[in-house]
Amino acid sequence: MPRSIWNGTITFGLIAVPIKVHSATESHTVHFHQVHAEDGARIKQKRICSKEDREVPYKEVSMGYEVRGGEFVLLDKEEIDAAAGDRSRTIELEQFVDPTEVDPVFYDRTYYLGAGDDGQDAYRLLLDALKRAKRSGIGRWVFHNREYLVSVRAGDDLLVLHTMRFADELVRAEKLDIAKPSRKPGKRELDMAEQLVDSLEKNFRPASFKDSYRDRVAELIKRKAEGEEIELPEPEEVEAPDDLMAALEASLGNGRRKARR
Amino acid sequence: MPRSMWSGSLSFGLVNVPVVMVTAVRDLDLHFRQLHEKDGAPIEVQRWCSKEDVEVPFEEIARAFEFDDGSHVIVSDEELEAIEPRRTRTIEIEQFVELAEVDPIYFDHPYYLLPAGSDDGSARAYRLLADVMARTNRAALGRFVMRAKEYLAIVRSYDGALMLSTMLFADEVRDSEDVENAAQKSHKPPAQQVKAAVAVIEELSGRWEPSEWKDRYRRRLQDVVSRKRKGKTIKAPEPRETEPAEATDLMAALEQTLAEMRG
Repeated sequence: MPRSIWNGTITFGLIAVPIKVHSATESHTVHFHQVHAEDGARIKQKRICSKEDREVPYKEVSMGYEVRGGEFVLLDKEEIDAAAGDRSRTIELEQFVDPTEVDPVFYDRTYYLGAGDDGQDAYRLLLDALKRAKRSGIGRWVFHNREYLVSVRAGDDLLVLHTMRFADELVRAEKLDIAKPSRKPGKRELDMAEQLVDSLEKNFRPASFKDSYRDRVAELIKRKAEGEEIELPEPEEVEAPDDLMAALEASLGNGRRKARR
Repeated sequence: MPRSMWSGSLSFGLVNVPVVMVTAVRDLDLHFRQLHEKDGAPIEVQRWCSKEDVEVPFEEIARAFEFDDGSHVIVSDEELEAIEPRRTRTIEIEQFVELAEVDPIYFDHPYYLLPAGSDDGSARAYRLLADVMARTNRAALGRFVMRAKEYLAIVRSYDGALMLSTMLFADEVRDSEDVENAAQKSHKPPAQQVKAAVAVIEELSGRWEPSEWKDRYRRRLQDVVSRKRKGKTIKAPEPRETEPAEATDLMAALEQTLAEMRG
């Protein structure tokens, strides 16, 4: 496990829990660079002043907020950082909630917490109490000059922190103008669909889903490195069924056959 | 209405639901443009060749994978498309799961799926799938390809619509056993302390009301911008000096907390 990315204290009431924050996730996406096609040299980005047409070093860059077309309020990077608020190293759990009430759509990034120096007793106390109370704590966390809403919950054997989305950041489904069918699905269709759901139900085993695309990208790179030509196929079109009931029946037949095998 | 990010179909047994995908998250962040401090002119980012020191037009830029020894291969968009799974425009439901069984750590970006086109068949198939998942509290797992990457996705009924969240693959979630100084058996708290801590938690408990939690950072940043616009100078606040004292006596801290809360 890499080193912690933030050290501080979680408080609830007058109880202080020293913690260290670690990333819980890591990307394995294959990364590409931009190159100049004709000579394969790396592309570098240059900041050019649009008035003087010359390169501008980073220390001469200010941030502009456009208040109306072409009119900017100029801010230093430090002035933007000021919005982070008091840069305390404390996450105060202000409220506790039933985590089953929090829809996963609110969770953004995930971090694992370890105990800070000499914090083992307090850490274990918070973990055990959250498990016992079946609650998670909500608080604010200032990280990299930005304040986040966070949830701290009990994982199996450690505290887990999620940054959270704010309610106004989520699009409400009612704003989406979803086409309504001329008549609703009938009871028979719903019952059959439910049987189909049941026939395809399994436990969630995350490791059973591999990122096969990532492997194919790696394979493609290898073939290209060996000088191979890559063939390009055609895409295909799909249509909704005219007869929903017939499609359900046919699917269920399929599902049952599969289940029996 | 947000812009469509993807279009294709969701397949459920032999039922195909043509759908378009739109993001479920609104970007409310304040965006800044880089300006040249001395003349306030916007900064343009130009792409230059690191070898020839000339600006490179967009059509001469290629995507390359670099090996450890510095050599590279160029990979085109078409070649990446060629290795996409054959049924690239389809999210095929592979299984259903109980929603509560999926740890939120696996959820990545949320989107809505909307029935595509105007025909009644799509709208009915869409409604059937949304209704049956709401009724059974189940979510569907499947895979699809978007912008040259394959995603694992979880589709469920949310707010009367189908919501798709991209998911992390298992190997993108770190093993929590590797975290240093997580809970250790040797630090098991006495029952009396746990009981008091649970009492503190219950005193502070309430219903989850997402709209009560405002983005104070966004508001402060808006405030910084408007004060600056009026010509005021902005000073970064000093880090708070007084950090909470480490409780050496947990029981005393718990009791004092409860005494204060209960007045």
